[in-house]
Parts: sequence; C-alpha cells; structure tokens
Amino acid sequence: MLTRSWSRLTLAGKVVLPLVAVLGGLTALLMLGVVLGIVQPITAFLVETLSLNGGLVRFVVAALAVLLFAIPTAFIIGFLELKVIAFMNLRLGPNRVGPWGALSAAFHGFKILAKEDFTPTGADVPVFTLAPVIVFLAPVLGFLVLPFAPGLFGQDMNLAVLYFFAMSGLGVVGLIMAGWSSFNKYSLLGALRAAAQIISYEIPLTLSVVGVIMLAGTLSLNGIVLQQAGSFLDWFAFRQPLGFVIFFIAATAEGNRTPFDLSEADSEIVAGYATEYSGMRFGFFYFAEYVNVFLLSALTVVLFLGGWLAPFDLGGVLHQIGVAFDPRLDPGSLGIGLLIGLLVVPLLIIIGLAVPFWLAKPGLAFWKALIIGFLLFNVLAAGAVLLWAVASFEVVQGLLWFMAKTYAFVVILVWMRATLPRVRIDQLMGFAWKWLIPAALLNLFVTALAVVVVDAVTR
Amino acid sequence: MTADPRTRVRSLDDPQLFVETPATIYDAVPPYPPSTEREAEFYTLRDGEMLINLGPQHPSTHGVLRVVLKIDGERVVDLDPVLGYLHRGVEKICENSDWHMVVSHCDPLEYIAAMFSELVPVMAAEQLLDVTVPRRAEYIRVLACELNRIASHALFIGWLALDLGGLTPILYGFIERDEIVEMLAALTGQRLLFNYMRIGGVNGDLNHEFMSRLGDWMGHAARHVNDSQTLINENEIFVKRTRGLGRIDRETALRMCLTGPPLRATGVPYDVRRAHPYGVYPELEFEIPVREEGDSYARYMLHLDEIRQSIHIIDQVLHQMPDGPVTAKLPRLLRPRPGRAFAAIESPRGQYAVYAMSDGSDQPFRLRIHDPSYFNLQSVGLLTPGHLIADTMAIMASLDPIMGGVDK
Repeated sequence: MLTRSWSRLTLAGKVVLPLVAVLGGLTALLMLGVVLGIVQPITAFLVETLSLNGGLVRFVVAALAVLLFAIPTAFIIGFLELKVIAFMNLRLGPNRVGPWGALSAAFHGFKILAKEDFTPTGADVPVFTLAPVIVFLAPVLGFLVLPFAPGLFGQDMNLAVLYFFAMSGLGVVGLIMAGWSSFNKYSLLGALRAAAQIISYEIPLTLSVVGVIMLAGTLSLNGIVLQQAGSFLDWFAFRQPLGFVIFFIAATAEGNRTPFDLSEADSEIVAGYATEYSGMRFGFFYFAEYVNVFLLSALTVVLFLGGWLAPFDLGGVLHQIGVAFDPRLDPGSLGIGLLIGLLVVPLLIIIGLAVPFWLAKPGLAFWKALIIGFLLFNVLAAGAVLLWAVASFEVVQGLLWFMAKTYAFVVILVWMRATLPRVRIDQLMGFAWKWLIPAALLNLFVTALAVVVVDAVTR
Repeated sequence: MTADPRTRVRSLDDPQLFVETPATIYDAVPPYPPSTEREAEFYTLRDGEMLINLGPQHPSTHGVLRVVLKIDGERVVDLDPVLGYLHRGVEKICENSDWHMVVSHCDPLEYIAAMFSELVPVMAAEQLLDVTVPRRAEYIRVLACELNRIASHALFIGWLALDLGGLTPILYGFIERDEIVEMLAALTGQRLLFNYMRIGGVNGDLNHEFMSRLGDWMGHAARHVNDSQTLINENEIFVKRTRGLGRIDRETALRMCLTGPPLRATGVPYDVRRAHPYGVYPELEFEIPVREEGDSYARYMLHLDEIRQSIHIIDQVLHQMPDGPVTAKLPRLLRPRPGRAFAAIESPRGQYAVYAMSDGSDQPFRLRIHDPSYFNLQSVGLLTPGHLIADTMAIMASLDPIMGGVDK
C-alpha cells in the first residue's frame, strides 16, 4: 500500500512528504533533546568550537521553528473558518474527521499533496513555479520578529516593524507573478487587483502605525509591547483608537479578506490569481492566506492590544485563590514517596472517577467506566498542568494571552467573512485614498502634536 | 486565421500569436469569420481592450449562460451573450407528444419554480378543450404556485447576495426553500420538478402531511428570509453596490418587453394576476408592490414585498378553500378543437405565456413558449456596458434569469 500511495504522489508531493517527515523527525529529536538536556551542551559546543555566531544559530533554529509553527496554524485557522462560518450559516460544518471535524482542514492539506500538479499551456513555467513559494514564504518570514511571549521570539530586531511591512509587501510580488505567468485573463485581473489593493492599503497601514511608534519611541515589536505595560488602559488601542481602527481595516485589506477579497473574488473572477493553480501549489496559496490572517491578527494584538501582556494578573489571582504551585519544588526530596505517588495516586483518581459512572449506569462494563475515568483524568491532569504552568511561568501565561487575543481577532475576521458582501474595486480604492489615508494623516498629526505638547509641559 | 481552425486557434488578443491548444467552443473569438456587422464590430479590439469569457462554466452565471465581455481594465465596454447551451428543443418535443406529456416536458423550463411552467400549457389546453376547472383545484393551484413563488424569491435573495460576495443569505434562502420544497414534495412526490398540474385540475388533493407542514411553516413564514433581510437590507456595502446600479427607465423597460419584478421596479404596476386575471385571483385580495427607482436595489426590495404578498395570498386561500373534486372529468385521450389559445400567468420572473395551436389531433400543432427570463435577460446588453466587471454579476443576479427557460 505504501508503494502504491508513493507512486500516486506528484513530484511536488514526493519532495514535500520526505521533507515533512524529516522535519517531523528532527522536531521529535529536538524535543527529546530538550527533555534530556542535551541541546544546551551541543549548542554551546557548536558555538565554542566552531566559533559560530550565537545569533546565527538562534536565527536558524527560529526559522525552523517558524516554518513548523506556520503549518499547524494554517490548519487550525482553516478549521476555524469552516466551523465558524458553518455555525453562522446554520449548518453543521465538518464533522467526520476527528472530533467535531477538527482534522478536516489538515486532511484537506494532505489530500492536496496527492493531487495532480497541472501547469497550463502557455504558462511561464519558472515564474509559475516560483510564485506560490514566494507567496507562502513572505508571511512565514514575518513570524520571525513576532514576540509571542516574554523571551519567546525569533529575532528582536530594532527595525522589526519595517521588516514586517517589507515582508508583507513581498507577498504582492508573488501574487503578481502568479497572475502574470498563468496565461489566464482572470488570473491577470486578480493579480492587478491585488497589486492595486495591497499597494494602496499599505500606506494607511504604515501611517496608522507611525503614531504608535511615536508614542513607543521604538521600532522593535518587543519594545512596543513593553511600552504598553501597566493596566489594560495603557494599551495603544486606547491611546490611539483611530489608528487602531485604521490599522485593522487596512490589515483586513492587506490580508485579502472579506469584504476586501477582490483579488480572489470567486463570483467575479473565478479564483483570481489562483485560477490556474492546482495541487500543492494551490495549497500554498491557501496556507499563505491563513498564515496571513494569523499574522495580521497577531500584529494588531502586538501593536495595539498589549501583545502578551495580561489585562489582569492571572498568576496572582491563581495564587490568591490558593492554586499555588511552587516551581522550585524538588521531586527528588520526596524519595520513595514520589514513586508510590506516581503509581498509586493516578490509579486511585481514575478508579474514583470511574466508579460513579459504573454505579449510575447499570449494564456498563467496568472496563468501559475505567476508560471514561482515564479520559476524565487526562483532562483534569492537563488542566492542572496548564494551571500550574500559568501560575509558575511568565512565558506560558504570556503565550496564553497572546494566543487568546490573536484568535479573537482571527474569529472576528472569519465573522466578517460570513457576514459582509464584497466591495467593488472603485469603492475599495476610493475608501483607501479618500478616507483612510486622510484619517491616518490626521491621526499622525494629532499624535505628533500631543507628543510635542506633553514633552513641553513635562519638561 | 489558419487553414484548419480545429487544431490551431487565434489567441484572444493578438492575431499574430498562436497557441498550441485545440480549438474549443469556449474560446472568446468564434472560429469562423464574423457573420454580421455587429459581430465584426464586437470582435474588433481597440487599444487596451480585451475579450474575456464569462461562462458557460462560471461560479455566478446561474447555469450555463455565457457572456463574452469586452473589457478595458475593469470596465465593461461591450458584451455579447451567447445562448443555447441548455437548448433542448422543448417546443418541438411538445409537438410530438400528446397533451398530457406536454406538462412534464414543460416542467424543467423554469426549474426553480416548476409549478408555473407546468401550469401555463395546462391552462392553454383547458381553453382549447373548453373545460371548467373545479373550484378546489383552482385554489390548490394558487396555493402551490404562491408557495413556489416564495421558494423562488428566497433563492433570488440568496443568489444576489452570493454574487456580491456574501456567503450567508444563500443558506438562509435554502433553508426557507427547503421547508417549502419538502411541503410540496409531500403534496406532489417531487422536490424540484413537481409534475403536479393536470389538464382539468391537479394531480392529487391536499393531504395530511402537506397541511401539517404548511401549518408549521405558516407559524414562522419566511423567517429566514427576514433574517437575511436584516443581514443585507441596511448593509452599507450591499446598498452601495446595488443602489443606482443597472438602472432602467420605464419606457426602455416596456420597449424591451421586460415583465415581472424588473418592470415593476420601474414603476409600472403590471402584474398578470391583476392585468389579465386567471384562476381565482380576482377573488383574492393582494397588492402589487411597485418601486420607482428601477435599479438593482429596487428589484431586490420588490422581491421582499412580493414574498409578503404571497404569504397574504396563501393565508386567504387557506381560509376560502372550498370542498369538492380536484379534477374535471375528461377522456384519457384528449383531442381539443382545432384553434388557437393564449394563456399567460405571472411567474416569479414575469409574464410566462404559452400560445398553443391545435389541429384537432391529440398532439399540439405548435406550442410557442414565452419565457420572461429571456426577455429580462436581454436587457443585460443595455444595462451593463460602462459598469465594472463586478457589477455585471450584480445586474445579472438582480434580473434573475433561469437558463432552462431562456434556452428552452
């Protein structure tokens, strides 16, 4: 069966699948290394003996991690989109693969790997082949500077904001390449729409951020997050409300999302720049779109909603209500008690959870009740571990807040897709040039004035 | 042009460029030299213009309509609709089948609202036979037709929103349609092509399941249509994209033989149910909604008003429904008198008419079908040039053509 599956893969699939396997293996090894504590010595050895640049090693590891992070993110957002839109359409949505259809987006991804990879006659083959790669890589590279949590980021660039906009500008090149090389008029129209739209909306997008940069006094995303520390009223969304609104609208247009998804408007120009693409190359466009959605939501959160900062101190609250765990507890000090505890306590909890089910439902075999108890125990254990991690580690808490805020914005973007019709190209451009850019300039002017006045008063 | 147009085709824009693709019927430029002056003018491109095929396989052409657009950037300069991809020769088939079979042949013409396309030939045959349809059958016909009208209009609202990029209203429309279609399936046994009308009456009396479903539905009639209405009626994007779009004035609309919502949206209160009453419509109380603007938004709002009027009509029909037989007594082999008959009804898309000729045999001598979709669709050529590509979809969707009836 393996050989048959292998022979049915296209060339792209034959390249990508081993790559995925190798990367997965490497990740597993890396995790194992982290657990066994061998990564640190190896890195130190490499840095010392090969006199490698520490930043370079960090960059390579970060690039790998970012690539590995992008794919599951795309799957998760793809699933969210299917399910949330289904909920709003009064449909069931995916419900076959995995619990609540959670794996269906991932299976779409794997299905696409095995599909025929078709190049149309008349296409400009090198450009046609390269375009999806550029479209996919541009948002993935943007991940490198994103601060997920305190200390958890690829690279703390002092030009991170500029780098970010440069990367999102790179994506347009890929779209134009795709539209031009496909030898299809719908693709060409889609590419031209994408170019006009993204270049127009990059101006208000950047201008609305300038106010934030002025207030924060830094271009580093980490620095911008740290500038918002304090209560949640210190977030830039409350100090720059107009900038926040402009940024979110422009980011929606930048990510080609409804109501600004003109470049792939299915009811007008079929699929825009992606019309002639099939198989994994088409998949790259889809991945890129979802990664882009995550990235723009994350950037909104970082710039305006305090990034990984908590609106209230969750760890403190947990300590207050008594769910306090001491991360410095040494398990070794428990001696034989640890072994007994690990062996006996879970068993007792599982049986304790299973017995009520067994008693409440006559005719239920005890081993089935035990399975239920085991699953419940796992849920409880996972919850306890999470609580412990949140209470103990700032990184985990920061990551949790960051992801919660980001996915809230992702859901808002999906919600907009389910609700709003699409704007017309002239309305789109008019909106950018007649409303957003003047508003962004006004915001910039008022912010600059306020900064000068406050400086003069406080000096 | 090359010697053998089947193997090599001229590229869409540049006559000097050749692509090694076998010629297909889907190429924008026809593989033969222009046959009319208009065709020669249309297929001559000025600087910066290009031809683009919209359909026959396109997400928003509602079936198999194909339109060759001549565009300059995003702006539509001219367009050439190419019809006939769904041509089945229904009129000719009807000439070779007896009168009872005509019903099922005419059924799929207006496949979204099949009750109407099967009612008209039946009415024409009844005129030729001088049959009096039982009162109960007339009421049942009105009931079935108005239900089908609501189902059709619910889909129209969804389609219009879908062509403008909104995903949700189409599914709300389908929920509404599904409830009605299930109801009609309980009555007729079919969900799409009902085959319910019979010459001299209808196929079966109202049954318990139909009535219980209808009662359930009347409790929340058109709820999901109202839902999608709250979603798009006041929606800034929707209003901006449809208001003032595809505007047609009263005289042009009359000259182009527009009927139904596109005509009533221009302010002409022409509705066959009132202008040339048939069935029991004279005894029912309802208004003919009219709008003055004549644009896409007016056509959309008109459909909403018509749904409300249809619910009102159904309510009255249920109260006035008499007892009695549902079919007139007729021989199995029908031989109408030689002569001509004209029957017209108000379908969801406008005046749906049949002009039937009989030579005294059991088959119609000639059956001319006047489908409103065809006449409404021809105004696309007048409305679209000068607008953007995206507006083409909004205009076509608001005219609501059914290609089964257009291509016949």
